[in-house]
Amino acid sequence: MNPKISLEEKLDKQAPAVFIMPAVLIVLFFSIFPLIVSLFIALSRLKFIKGGVQLKFIGWLNFKKLLFGSQQYHFLGKFDQLTPVGFFLLGLFVLAMFFWLYRYIKSKKISFFGTIGRVVIALGLFFLVLITLINLTTPKGLPGTLVVTLIYVILGVMFQFLIGLGLALLCVKKIKGRSFFRLVFFIPMMITPVGIAYLFRMLTDMTKGPFSPIIMWFGYEEASWAVIPWGARIAVMIGDAWQWIPFMFIVLLAGLESLSTEQKEAAIMDGAGGWEIFRDITWPTLLPVSATIVLIRLIEAFKIIDLPNVMTNGGPGIATESLSLHSYFNWRTMDLSGSAAVGYLLMIVAVFVCLSFVNLLKNKVDLAQR
Amino acid sequence: MWKILNKKKKYDDVSYLEGFPIYFILGLWAFICLFPIYWVFITSFKEAYVVNDGPFYIPFVDFQPSLHAWEFVLMQESVNTLRPFYNTIIISIISALITVFIGSMAGYALVRISYRPKIASIFFFLLLLALSVYLVAKLKLDWRIVVVSSLSVFVLFILTLSRKFKSSLGNNDIGFWMISQRILPPVVVVIPIYIFFQQLGMLDTYPAMIITYVAINIPIVVWLMRDFFYNIPIDLEENAALDGASRFRIFTTIVLPLSKPGLSATFMLVLILCWNEYLLSLFISLTDTQTLPLMIASMNTTRGPQWWYMSVIIIIMIIPVIMVALFLYRFIIKGLLVGAIKG
Amino acid sequence: MKSVKLFFSKTMILSLGIIFMLTPSIFAKKYDGVTVNILTMEAPQIKGPMVKRAPDFKKLTGANINVIGVPFSDIYPKMESDFATGTNSIDGAVFAPQWMVDFIEPGYFEDLTPRIKADSAIDWEDIGYFFRSFSSTYGGKVYTIPLDGDFHMIYYRTDLLDAAGIAPPTTWEEYTYIASRFHGQDMNGDGTPDYGSCISKKRNAQAYWMIHSIVGGFIQTKGTGQGVFFDTKTMKPLVNNAAFSRALDIYKETTKYAPADEINLDVGDTRGLWTAGRCALTLDWGDIGTLAIEKGSKVNGKTGASILPGSRLVLDRASGELVPCNAARCPYAINGVNHAPFAAFGGWSGAVNVSADAKVKDAAYDFFSFMAQAEQSNEDVTIGITGMNPYRVSQFESINNWTGAGFSKAAATNYLGAIKASLDSPNMILDLRVPKNQRYQQVVLDTEVHRFVSGEISKEEAMERIEEGWEEITEEMGRDEQLSAYRNTLGY
Repeated sequence: MNPKISLEEKLDKQAPAVFIMPAVLIVLFFSIFPLIVSLFIALSRLKFIKGGVQLKFIGWLNFKKLLFGSQQYHFLGKFDQLTPVGFFLLGLFVLAMFFWLYRYIKSKKISFFGTIGRVVIALGLFFLVLITLINLTTPKGLPGTLVVTLIYVILGVMFQFLIGLGLALLCVKKIKGRSFFRLVFFIPMMITPVGIAYLFRMLTDMTKGPFSPIIMWFGYEEASWAVIPWGARIAVMIGDAWQWIPFMFIVLLAGLESLSTEQKEAAIMDGAGGWEIFRDITWPTLLPVSATIVLIRLIEAFKIIDLPNVMTNGGPGIATESLSLHSYFNWRTMDLSGSAAVGYLLMIVAVFVCLSFVNLLKNKVDLAQR
Repeated sequence: MWKILNKKKKYDDVSYLEGFPIYFILGLWAFICLFPIYWVFITSFKEAYVVNDGPFYIPFVDFQPSLHAWEFVLMQESVNTLRPFYNTIIISIISALITVFIGSMAGYALVRISYRPKIASIFFFLLLLALSVYLVAKLKLDWRIVVVSSLSVFVLFILTLSRKFKSSLGNNDIGFWMISQRILPPVVVVIPIYIFFQQLGMLDTYPAMIITYVAINIPIVVWLMRDFFYNIPIDLEENAALDGASRFRIFTTIVLPLSKPGLSATFMLVLILCWNEYLLSLFISLTDTQTLPLMIASMNTTRGPQWWYMSVIIIIMIIPVIMVALFLYRFIIKGLLVGAIKG
Repeated sequence: MKSVKLFFSKTMILSLGIIFMLTPSIFAKKYDGVTVNILTMEAPQIKGPMVKRAPDFKKLTGANINVIGVPFSDIYPKMESDFATGTNSIDGAVFAPQWMVDFIEPGYFEDLTPRIKADSAIDWEDIGYFFRSFSSTYGGKVYTIPLDGDFHMIYYRTDLLDAAGIAPPTTWEEYTYIASRFHGQDMNGDGTPDYGSCISKKRNAQAYWMIHSIVGGFIQTKGTGQGVFFDTKTMKPLVNNAAFSRALDIYKETTKYAPADEINLDVGDTRGLWTAGRCALTLDWGDIGTLAIEKGSKVNGKTGASILPGSRLVLDRASGELVPCNAARCPYAINGVNHAPFAAFGGWSGAVNVSADAKVKDAAYDFFSFMAQAEQSNEDVTIGITGMNPYRVSQFESINNWTGAGFSKAAATNYLGAIKASLDSPNMILDLRVPKNQRYQQVVLDTEVHRFVSGEISKEEAMERIEEGWEEITEEMGRDEQLSAYRNTLGY
């Protein structure tokens, strides 16, 4: 005779579903549903008429306009012939990709989907690198919102990670006032992005900002960061870094703290130097958590909107306009289909970059977690 | 001499020689963090012409501080600050609590339980969803009927045909799908969500705001808590299971208490994200549920940004968050130390 | 005897009872229990005066006026989504009449013409001709009530110009000359060199109105109905021609005499610079006049206003070239110079949602009328922080309101004189009001002009791109529909 199964055990059998279903259902509904509706909107022309909304299906036209048509300069940037330096860099990249693919094919774990996936990644990255080089290294090339966003994402997150790591390494040592520093470094993250945007606009003002006496003393009064494309981009990245370095710092610090000093002392006994300790003990522990927060930051960085919007409204010209801002400008003038199209392209690029990041690092992270 | 300066008891201690550059760098960064806050603080006490005339740094020495901005934001009838403040607190805290609860359950499940959702089912689901949206949008069928029928078809499929398909995804894919939900910019999802709530008559209500915030923040919680749970040794849980405890009991009595630092840090993060959210709040709220970030953006009028009012609101927004951070800080630190000793 | 007395006393009691019953309803207010939701900008301007006067209105009529504020750039999307999805939580809105066509065409707004005819208190004829005949109307019907009069003027430092014996500029060439003359001098006594001209050129801010203030005098000569944006017969954009080219040159030249980051300054910044005494000339709405007399301003008593500079050369629409003014081409020229004051933005106005309850609509209309009546608005326009600028004739005539608010007699006369000259001009430019005007101006015009002034593209390329961009939108929306809408806004 089977013993009576108690209610608790019955519930427990459902545990796998119960644990994960609320999250999955909510995310499914609130994310997938708008996604699909937006896809419809991106593929049509939206018009407001009495009693509601009129959707006229026009297929790829919105996307065509962004990739090949009148908005191409806005999205992809202005093109020009690649210089020898550009060709050289492109060549280096192609070699690296071939090498990576070769290593994968030679390894034991090859599979059909895996190969296809990696080829797609290689092609996609090639396309992005090509566009970036064309926009940035040629004399008459100008970046469009795609490349500007990539600059914010890749350069920005790299910078934030390195500084966050450095600060965490310094703060893990037993210096006096550690807690004070930790709390202070945490503060910038707590301010609302809109607030930070206005704050930095105040700070960087050439006439009213707190740094203007310094600027005047250096004789740069006649220049303005806001009219030089790279100057404006760097200003935006500084604002973004100020806000998000605390995030890197806090998480990396938590990761470092979980390391015991005994391990390190043992290594010193064995004759290891500072650099070796970092490479063999610290870094492997940090790698998984670093990968996570860098991925989270990459995803969030693709959506950067408040800082360029408030500091320069996307100017000078379109030099600081990110993809999200591009979408927002379209949306503000009720060009909902154009806005949805840009949003979708943003999503495709972001998913692509993040997938590439995850794949490129997967081996290293797996090794570290062992 | 060098030996004395370089002396340290343990590896992570700091010798005098190392001390100076470290303190210098940390001090510099602390200044970088605090100076903008100081600037905002004194700007909230400046009159309009003081702001326009150029930078003044020290109250009473450089310029006469005045309370006009504070008085305007907090007292003036035409600017209702108290209501948004109250709304922001309630909505953020409730959203954060719910999100962390649901998200950590999911994160835990992803670490301890092996899921194998079939690719075919997912594909079918998406197909049904696209079809439903098309039917409602283009053919104007009643959405309630469409939703119910699609759901029934889907359940039918799961129970019958899905057994035929074998290939499936794993936990990592679910995890990646979750975090990828953060990628779509809010601008693109605002109008569909707005229409959804409007059809339900839920615009400008607390539940609408809360569930939206929960939905957009669950992915981050799942991802962060997944990492924290991964680091908890599984032997504790296995022992408890041998003793006959259910999964749920293991989760609440063993796992959660051990992950206090992770929970606190994640709660803090979600609280900040909800506290500072702008675009969705702009759309879902009208009068009853307006939140503070809207007020900051409002201070940028056709007359140009009113820096003094903005600074007041920024300060009002930061103070509660700092207080919560100070409160939770002890949990984060305490838990970390425990983890370090154990490890 | 007794029965008669009884009868009379019963009648008395009955009558008293009836009177008692009726009294509450006689004293009951017109809109007791009615709540009106009005959407506008969240700011001390515009919303402030409405919130301030709502209790007075409630005392008079019993209506609850609930003013909802949202950030300026989000008013339009919020209104559109509220009306289009049928939510209709907004009963009335105070917004830029420039956007009204997008709401009139789908039929969201109530036609206010019959109400105004029946309204004895509003004194419609007192409102400036331009505002009541063009700004508030579409296709001949009135849809909005003006609460504010917005148009551009230039301002100059009276002390500097008087000392040098120069008259205020009447053409743009004179403007750039004066700017170059004073640029680099110290104008506020703090030892640092200041600027000849401060014009807001920031992208996605207000710069796209500034460029039309400059080009307007070159393009529109025959009165408001001629229009400045498109050809009224073909809907061809009036942007790729000699007049626009000249205007772009002037626009770029003023940057030479301005702060280094002028292309990143919006009106908030330029107004701050003006009141700090750092500019000799500026181009702006009426706010400068009331800001100049505020506490801490360094230019109180030194600010003069003048009608927008114009041009002696105007555009021949057939050939696209510039030709000299003469009596036939420029019937409204003053001393041979064609002025075209630009009513940029149009002036905050109130409109009523046609789907609201009848009583709510009545209350909303009455409130807007109340705000616009001379007793309230004449006071509001003299106070800077209300954000309301003059639009009624009576507001210029009584100078006491202004001197009472803090203007000196000379400053008030000068300021009001410039406003009056602009308002009286039959050649005032109506802002673009066709459907999707925001895309024409904000997305295309603003972006290309900004790219030009920051050196990213050449002048020719900018004009081509604007023309191309505008044509694309026109084609997308339907050329005939846009043309008919354009003609409707101009009163055809």
